[in-house]
Amino acid sequence: MGLQAPYVTGYLTEHFADDAYATLDGYKARGGYRAAEKALREMSPDDVVELMKSSGLQGRGGAGFSAGMKWSFMPKDSDKPKYLVCNADESEPGSFKDRILLERGPHQVLDGILIGAWATGSEKTFVYVRGEYAEPAACLQRAIDECYAAGVLGENVLGSGFAHDVIITRGAGAYICGEETGLLESLEGKKGQPRKKPPFPAQYGAFGMPSTVNNVETFSHVPHIVENGADWFRGFGTEKSPGNVIFGVSGHVMRPGLYELPMGTRLDEIVFEHAGGVPDGRKVKGVIPGGVSMPILPAGQLDVRMANEFLRERKTMLGTGGVMVMDETTCMVRTACVITYFFRDESCGQCTQCREGTGWLNKICNRIERGAGTLEDLDVLADVAGKMEGQTICAFADAAAWPVQGLLRHFRGDFEEHVRLGKCPFPESFEL
Amino acid sequence: MVISEDARTAIDAEIRKYPQRRGALLPALHIVQKELGHVAPETARELAEIFEIKPVDVMEVVSFYNMFYAEPQGRHHVHVCTNLPCSLRGARGLMRKIEAHLEIDAGETTKDGRITLGHEECLGACAYAPMMRIDETYHENLDLEEAKRILDELE
Amino acid sequence: MPNITVDGQELEVEKGRTILQALDDAGLLMNGVDVPHYCWHPKLPIDGSCRLCQVEVEGIPKLQIACNTPVQDGMVVHTTTDRVRAAREGVMELLLVNHPLDCPICDQAGECKLQDYAFEYGISASRTREPRRALKKSVDLGPTILFDQERCILCRRCVRFCREIPGTGELGVFNRGDHSVIETFPGTELDNPYSMNVADICPVGALTTKDFRFKIRVWFLEDVPGVCTGCSNGCNVYLGVANNKVYRYVPRRNDQVNDTWLCDAGRMSYKKIGAEDRLRGPLVRCDDGVLREATLENAVAVAAERLRRLVDAKGAGVVAVVASAHATDQDLAMLRRLVDAVGIDTVGVAVIVGEGDALLIKPEKAANAAGARARGFGDLGPVLERLRGGGVEALLCLGHDLLHESLLGGAGPLEGLDSVVVLDTHRSELERVADVVLPARHAAEKHGTLTNHAGLSQHVQPAVEPAFQAWSEGELLARLGAALELDGFDGSFDPLAEGDA
Repeated sequence: MGLQAPYVTGYLTEHFADDAYATLDGYKARGGYRAAEKALREMSPDDVVELMKSSGLQGRGGAGFSAGMKWSFMPKDSDKPKYLVCNADESEPGSFKDRILLERGPHQVLDGILIGAWATGSEKTFVYVRGEYAEPAACLQRAIDECYAAGVLGENVLGSGFAHDVIITRGAGAYICGEETGLLESLEGKKGQPRKKPPFPAQYGAFGMPSTVNNVETFSHVPHIVENGADWFRGFGTEKSPGNVIFGVSGHVMRPGLYELPMGTRLDEIVFEHAGGVPDGRKVKGVIPGGVSMPILPAGQLDVRMANEFLRERKTMLGTGGVMVMDETTCMVRTACVITYFFRDESCGQCTQCREGTGWLNKICNRIERGAGTLEDLDVLADVAGKMEGQTICAFADAAAWPVQGLLRHFRGDFEEHVRLGKCPFPESFEL
Repeated sequence: MVISEDARTAIDAEIRKYPQRRGALLPALHIVQKELGHVAPETARELAEIFEIKPVDVMEVVSFYNMFYAEPQGRHHVHVCTNLPCSLRGARGLMRKIEAHLEIDAGETTKDGRITLGHEECLGACAYAPMMRIDETYHENLDLEEAKRILDELE
Repeated sequence: MPNITVDGQELEVEKGRTILQALDDAGLLMNGVDVPHYCWHPKLPIDGSCRLCQVEVEGIPKLQIACNTPVQDGMVVHTTTDRVRAAREGVMELLLVNHPLDCPICDQAGECKLQDYAFEYGISASRTREPRRALKKSVDLGPTILFDQERCILCRRCVRFCREIPGTGELGVFNRGDHSVIETFPGTELDNPYSMNVADICPVGALTTKDFRFKIRVWFLEDVPGVCTGCSNGCNVYLGVANNKVYRYVPRRNDQVNDTWLCDAGRMSYKKIGAEDRLRGPLVRCDDGVLREATLENAVAVAAERLRRLVDAKGAGVVAVVASAHATDQDLAMLRRLVDAVGIDTVGVAVIVGEGDALLIKPEKAANAAGARARGFGDLGPVLERLRGGGVEALLCLGHDLLHESLLGGAGPLEGLDSVVVLDTHRSELERVADVVLPARHAAEKHGTLTNHAGLSQHVQPAVEPAFQAWSEGELLARLGAALELDGFDGSFDPLAEGDA
């Protein structure tokens, strides 16, 4: 079944309700590929990079790094072939926005890819789609085929003389392949084990060639910025975090779904106004703002504006904008069990802290949930999580540590109750 | 030869897309898995030859990814997402009932070889929870009756 | 050349080296500057996953792994700060969460880097209360190695070794996360000429050799520096000695000769030292034709008498001398003196030539063929011709490589000889034809030097004292020379004297 369009749309998704938008004709009818043509014919690669920089577009894959800066890292004079990589490995629990962008806006993504290719001098783009996204990959492939047939891809993109190819490569079920260099390893046919950095992808990327990896949504913003300019883009969102972002809301809400809103929208507005609040008259207990890697916020802190500069003050981050709402019946220890299991399952296993730490955290949470925990365990949890931070090849270990720290920070009481009672104090909580 | 001519042709087409041969290994594994159901040692040996790597390198890759299997599987893979957003909306309770309905535990295959049941991590359907993935298709906004109906129709 | 400072000490380092390499180059690593590590190895590609070697680098907020941080001029490194200490404690504690408490039954105890670093850098009490993961304990990985998956700390040195050094790549890391295990491809084994090196480089007792299993605790062993005598590469080894017995060879690092490696055949050649078929005393052929035990004085006297009688009657031309490529330079120098003093021309060295490889293994299957050739014992061809052709009536033979199918092919051609005097370490078919047999010492039982294929002379020293009667070839030949009343031979032999090679 195809995805519905977001409940609230914006420049990214306003045409998503129209099935034709996913076709070349439909996309072009709405002004599609004008941006790519403009970039190819009227702007130099440097112009495009500068435009991206001044727009302030942050990557939308979770790390929030400046897209323009990333593009500027690609070597200008290089006899090596350069590659773009579109990260469509969306696997962060709570995230499902790239999926709709691929299914209902594939040409928008390709439009952005072409502009990025021109800006970085890349001859080929590998779109790495997670293996389970068979339907989104098929939609994108149809769009790619249309483009080749119409000369929008290939030897002579839009008659400009620039050549560019796009191929889709499917993942095979491993969250760590969403990490930039884990993705590159997987692309090369190996286990998706992240690489030591330096070197960074711009020096040594896909198949050893200079590469840039960007998220699906990041590419999707690009044609709009080229079409309308940096100032226009900065008219949305906040000063430090301009533009729109697609929030995915799930969990205990009336209207779980996608919402394209400006960066900096308040979290309570998203949860209560847009997503309709918690069903059955229940109250919110906590909300994870940006995918399971990001520390949870308690009910009293939902006034925060959803942009990194504000979320950091609350010791959390935007991540991929996956908003998960938990109501008052929710046991936070069970939540910890689910989350720590996920990280334990998905660790690539290279670094000691990550491999052993994710396992240990999960085992302790399970034991506390069963009622066999002690107060000491809470200190051990916090300490182990602290020992996992900042010491590994990639940020996975940090991402595994943060949620535990967040849950302990705001919901230590749930853990203590488990210890005191010797069982879960929330009989109505979701089943584990 | 375990890998068919058709599969080899498809693999060759994939190899041409990548600057290095090995880039086509994951696509090749998908192709081979679709045809044969799992990657047995003999299959791994043939792939190793095609990609000019060692059989152990192929098995490393097979063992790393959720979607590749070294052991024989049921005809259909039924995966229920039990990550956080889905669990919040009852996915684990649904899984238990599916286990009871199929008379197997997650991780096992039905005696008639029809279905291998498993847990899965987030599939990007968080707003349509609970849900399951059967082979290449998502079945979202499930309730138990719907789930049973879909499962019973599988051959 | 960049200058860096480590713990206040200035170092001039080679450009392009990492911090860990720079410390290793300077001989400071774990020898003045402690940077404990597991996955890094001086002779293997960088891994960077154990995270133990983290150090503080001024100007960089996060700790950096010393194994993968290239030195920059002016870099200031600290290895003893609280942050570094805490990081090491963290790694050690996490590694011990799943590691089984096998020390009492584990061969690695006493030379285990997990024990050592846990003691030095870890915390004293474990906080884990979780059951450890249960994996396979005694995997028969191949002809030489046993593997305990539970003990493995996934440093992946063994995987990298097999891929890089012998190039056979039998091992892989399967699965991911804390389900990672090291395996071979189903139905295949770890089987290459260098397989036992994985037991050396494994920091823990996950990979152990079948040969050494449960034999002796390593703290009883004295590690005596020596040289392997299996081929002409002259790989440096430590002989593991206890109770006047050699229990094993392990490689000794020498970046000019063998890096940190040793081939399996060479490693197992220690068994020759204590073998059952060692010659245990002098033997003399009596009048009734039986070879019997004799005193050294007696045996030497008989040998001298037979040789003198023949040389007096027919001249030195009827005597042939075959040198051993297993003897030391000093032994061979004495042989040269003897040969010159008697005036024997028909001389050569017996060397068995087999397969070699591009790594360590050399075709000449003896340690000192070069030493023999340097002292005028060359190609055996002319000696073999004369032995077969009948022009030789007496043979002084060191070792029994002469009998090899590629050389004389057996003792047959020696049956008709008037006198055969043998100096050897082990029994052989030569006993059938010998008139006198004198027991010699192995390179592990004497002082001396051996010259390898590249002309490098390396010292050996006595690691064990034979429990039976045996003398170095040099000493036996010195006595023989004295018994022959040759000029300059007073019966003494000092391998340590200068100029005696």
